[in-house]
Amino acid sequence: MSLSRAAGGGRSTPSLGAVVVSENGAAVLTFAVLAGLPLVASDYAVFILPQYMLYGVLAMSLGLFWGFAGILSFGQAAFFALGAYTMGLAMHGGGVAGVIDGAYLGLFLAALGAGALAAAVGYFLFSAGIRDTYFVIITIALSIIAEQLAITQSQITGGGNGMFIDRMMLNLGPLGSFSLEGDAAMYYFVLPIAGLVYLALRRLVGTKFGKVLVGIRENEDRVISLGLDASLYKTAAFALSGALAGFAGALYATHASFIAPSLGGVLFSTEVVVWVAIGGRTSLLGALLGGIVVASLSNYLSAITPEYWQLVLGLLFVAVIVYFKGGVAGALAAMLKARRGRAGEHG
Amino acid sequence: MALGVAADATILTLILALAALGLAVIYGLIGVINLGHGAMLTIGAYVTWACTGAGIPFAAAVVLAGLGVGLVGFALEHLVIRHFYDQPFETLLITWGFFLVTTEVIKIIFGPTLHPVTSPLPAALDLGIITLPAYRVLVAGVAVVLLGGVAALLYRTDLGIRIRAVIQNREVASLLGVDIGAMYKMVFVAGCCLAGIAGALLSPILSVGPYMGNIYLVRSFFVVIVGGIGQILGGTLVGSFLIGGSETIFALLFSQVFAQTIVFALAILILRFRPFGVLTRR
Repeated sequence: MSLSRAAGGGRSTPSLGAVVVSENGAAVLTFAVLAGLPLVASDYAVFILPQYMLYGVLAMSLGLFWGFAGILSFGQAAFFALGAYTMGLAMHGGGVAGVIDGAYLGLFLAALGAGALAAAVGYFLFSAGIRDTYFVIITIALSIIAEQLAITQSQITGGGNGMFIDRMMLNLGPLGSFSLEGDAAMYYFVLPIAGLVYLALRRLVGTKFGKVLVGIRENEDRVISLGLDASLYKTAAFALSGALAGFAGALYATHASFIAPSLGGVLFSTEVVVWVAIGGRTSLLGALLGGIVVASLSNYLSAITPEYWQLVLGLLFVAVIVYFKGGVAGALAAMLKARRGRAGEHG
Repeated sequence: MALGVAADATILTLILALAALGLAVIYGLIGVINLGHGAMLTIGAYVTWACTGAGIPFAAAVVLAGLGVGLVGFALEHLVIRHFYDQPFETLLITWGFFLVTTEVIKIIFGPTLHPVTSPLPAALDLGIITLPAYRVLVAGVAVVLLGGVAALLYRTDLGIRIRAVIQNREVASLLGVDIGAMYKMVFVAGCCLAGIAGALLSPILSVGPYMGNIYLVRSFFVVIVGGIGQILGGTLVGSFLIGGSETIFALLFSQVFAQTIVFALAILILRFRPFGVLTRR
């Protein structure tokens, strides 16, 4: 351990270090491309891409929980929808005069509400030592409940007719306020948020907290025998994941300007799982890009061949689970490692 | 009134037990979390719709649905599932992928619209004090027969002893000459057949559509885990009563959809305090 630590500069093995460096490079490249894209892309792309970046944030919220703590959630859509409806209600309410405007209150309450719900559900179940597989099924039920509540509680949510929400104003206090009505403004509002979330999560998984989560994924009993309260860590990870999903949902609501009950349903939750599985469940960048790229492709190909694209996506999902557990990110990392290994032999 | 509610609750309990039985067999005996169970119900219903539409008698269509879904299950098990028996999380994802693919294939072939299946027994059964829909009573009866059949097979036959031996101790059973792979395959395919038959029998009650199995997937899982895994007969019945029967009672007080939400919440509560099911002692 001490030898490899000396060689790898604090990381467990040099080859893992190489992968981390490559992920940093890929992340810089990704965000640079996204930052420059509006200069060359069509108006429609500038309009729609913030939505997919928010899907990417949603995918990272699952990536944190699934990839690092090792527990799957089919409930991410429920938190996303909770955040979206919270944002809508707060913006319609108009906030507290002189203290906070509706949009900021909405963003805050969306993250807080979804996080609190996830914390409550997580603590309730994990502290009882419930099996991870039961947890997955309960999260499916959570998504069904969310969609049904959104449909039936129509006096609050608008039911099947959905809810219309304005684009938010970016109120910068003494500096005045900017409208995010324009698509380019919205784009450059969402992009740094996605970047900051990515950076923050990358930092987080490098801390002790992140390492304990990986420990739980690999061997929960051993983590417990080290005197750590695994259920508390799982609860915290789920709460954070839920808060992030709710926050992304709130931004989605103000970007899309319209939300409907299906946003909380099982099918949308499944899409999130598919993005993360294909992108790479243990790579946050893989999850982010999975959300952006798969959603973009879905949009593009749905216009050409709606039925067959969904079928291909389903088959791709099965293929990834059966053959490439790590998704695209995992496959690339393995390729890179193999090449570096060969280079090492020759050098 | 009270008698009517009791009869409704009993019938719904048994129908739900029928829907959950295939899952109870697969999950309870070989531990595969089959998230494709709902899709298997759906395939069974579509086979029934196609067969009755082609003039085949309803009873024969039900048998064909069972065989057809069994065949699909055989292919799924042989090609993929058997390589992942020791990885429950991966089988969960693969069977969910099976659901995604199946749903899309159904949508491509039959379209996204709903199809009705005419009930073979449209009359009402007049028992003097109460009248019951005859077809539902028949389905409840079939559920009793199938549950009893599965229990008899497991606890009264030589084959049942082998299956239970494999569950209790794989290594020792294998050393005693039981073919583990064949046993797993047989249980998986049997569970799929049961799902196909259940889907067929449910088809006149529900509208046949690509997502019809979804709601029964979650209900069935709650039935199995609330009742207690591996308690094929008692667990399935108790779980079905707690999930299906209570929904009938809540539906009297609230809307149908809200009643189901309450029941799901209730199931989560039960799991919190009895994570191994109401019938299982740790």
